Amino acid sequence: MTALQIDGLTKRFGDVVAVRDLNLAVEAGEVFGFLGPNGAGKSTTISVLLGFLHPSEGTATVLGHDATRESRAVRSRVGLLPEGYDVYPNLTGREHVASAIETKGADDDPDAVIERVGLAPDDARRPAGDYSTGMRQRLMLGVALTGSPDLLILDEPSSGLDPQGIKRLRSIVREEAERGATVFFSSHILGEVEKVCDRVGIMNAGELVAVDTIDDLREEMGAGGVVEASVESPPDLDLDPIRTVDGVRDVEHGGGVVRVTCADPRAKMPALRRIDDATTVTDVAVEDASLESLFEEYTNGTAPNPEEPTSGETATQQGGDA
Amino acid sequence: MSTFTVARDDFRNARRSYIVLGVIGVFTALTALIFVAEIDIYDDPYRVLFDVLFFVSFVFPLLLAPLAYLSIAGDRTSGAIKYAMGLPNSRAEYFAGKFLSRFGVGAAAIVLAVAVGFVISLAFFVSTPDVVRFATFAGITLLYTFTFVSMFVAVSASTDSRSRAMFGTLGLYFVLIVFWFGFLPLLNIGTLLDTVESLLGVTVSEDTRNYVGLLSPGTAYLQTCKAVYGGVLGQYESFAQFETGDELYAQTWFTALVILAWGVGSLAVGYLRFQRSELG
Repeated sequence: MTALQIDGLTKRFGDVVAVRDLNLAVEAGEVFGFLGPNGAGKSTTISVLLGFLHPSEGTATVLGHDATRESRAVRSRVGLLPEGYDVYPNLTGREHVASAIETKGADDDPDAVIERVGLAPDDARRPAGDYSTGMRQRLMLGVALTGSPDLLILDEPSSGLDPQGIKRLRSIVREEAERGATVFFSSHILGEVEKVCDRVGIMNAGELVAVDTIDDLREEMGAGGVVEASVESPPDLDLDPIRTVDGVRDVEHGGGVVRVTCADPRAKMPALRRIDDATTVTDVAVEDASLESLFEEYTNGTAPNPEEPTSGETATQQGGDA
Repeated sequence: MSTFTVARDDFRNARRSYIVLGVIGVFTALTALIFVAEIDIYDDPYRVLFDVLFFVSFVFPLLLAPLAYLSIAGDRTSGAIKYAMGLPNSRAEYFAGKFLSRFGVGAAAIVLAVAVGFVISLAFFVSTPDVVRFATFAGITLLYTFTFVSMFVAVSASTDSRSRAMFGTLGLYFVLIVFWFGFLPLLNIGTLLDTVESLLGVTVSEDTRNYVGLLSPGTAYLQTCKAVYGGVLGQYESFAQFETGDELYAQTWFTALVILAWGVGSLAVGYLRFQRSELG
């Protein structure tokens, strides 16, 4: 079953196109990372899903309901941590959670919810207007979790959270996914969604530029890792034997360091042996593969391998001319 | 159920900001002051009500304005509406909850002030206060409160800007009270009709002028309060201000309908605008 189906969604504000012809499907039970820099159209898309904004063109269906016409039915099964929200300054955190439970007709224990998101019981009884950003973020995560929603929509949920809070957020996302909930997790930081998401979609300038699993994205960019070997070598070191190792994507040499970028993590050791055969290796450093650079390439409009479109079924690659 | 939750949360939030206490306290205190000040002037408490009703018609909307103008616009500017509307509340439920909470505060101020006035009358006035007259007065004033809260909440629902909400609210007060009552000698409904006469070269009959004059909720409220003075209209000279003819505009039910129409009409317009609006 599809938890989220967006077809040809375009949202314009006057002359500004915030989202252009977006097509996206998220399956039930999936943890989906919705990535993109600030202003890419992520929050606009989310606002359409909740019925806050009306699509200029196209439709969005959430949990089988039309997002605009059946917004209330959508919201009764969705847990939302929005972007750019505010709390009622004179209500306590606990009152916010209790009202959410009441409105959703759920039977959660507000104190259990507050404990789960790591808000101190004393703080929960103080006016939410006095909260720090991180505390408000925990509170709104708690509000989103009430009523065991079928779909969690989290818009930049880790902003303002300390490392401990981010860790807690991750484990909550995992627990919710295990319970069977779909999670739609928006962020501008790839490292954040990488650890919890099954698939990611990358938005840039209002367009979806890639949709794929983390593994496929990694493979596509050749993110098998990087080996850096400090060598006592002649400057004219022959790099060809290293280049021919299966799974090696790129080899550079300069400043006494040979840098080998691998498409396959298993290529690192054979590559290192070839370097060792050719010269004396004095030190070795291995960089963990990261998707950051891929993300940057996509969002700068210079996606790699343009002749090899992303394997995701709904990706559109029209460059970043919006 | 969720209308109740929205209203309760809104009321709690407002109560703890002291605006609720402010509106109820100030209005009750000023009403009590009018009663106390007139203990030695009039024997009949209903004569004091006449001064209170003028006070209500001019001043009470100015207390309701700060109470209501940010009811919805404030949530939209701050983003608190994303909390409320992220929950399964329909726009109608949210709108109704906000309205009920603010109207509740205005209504509480009226009920308390009239009750305090009644007690002061009972204790210090020569004539015993008439429960029916006080209750009638409270009822008509609640209708007036309903209409002004409706108009201000409707303005608030129509915009996501604090300053527009404020200008809208003050604009309504200026047009419906200051302009219609004729506080400004050169800028009022009478001079407007004079201008119409001279520009179009027509004569506006006295009857038409009277009808137009009673079409503001403020003037209509004054006229509707005639119902408080059944049987005693001849007792005081000031009561001559009430229209007493057979014309439609002199009928209490007609002016009450005018007040109601302003309230219901603005609620409808405000809700429709809110229902179609986009929430940032």
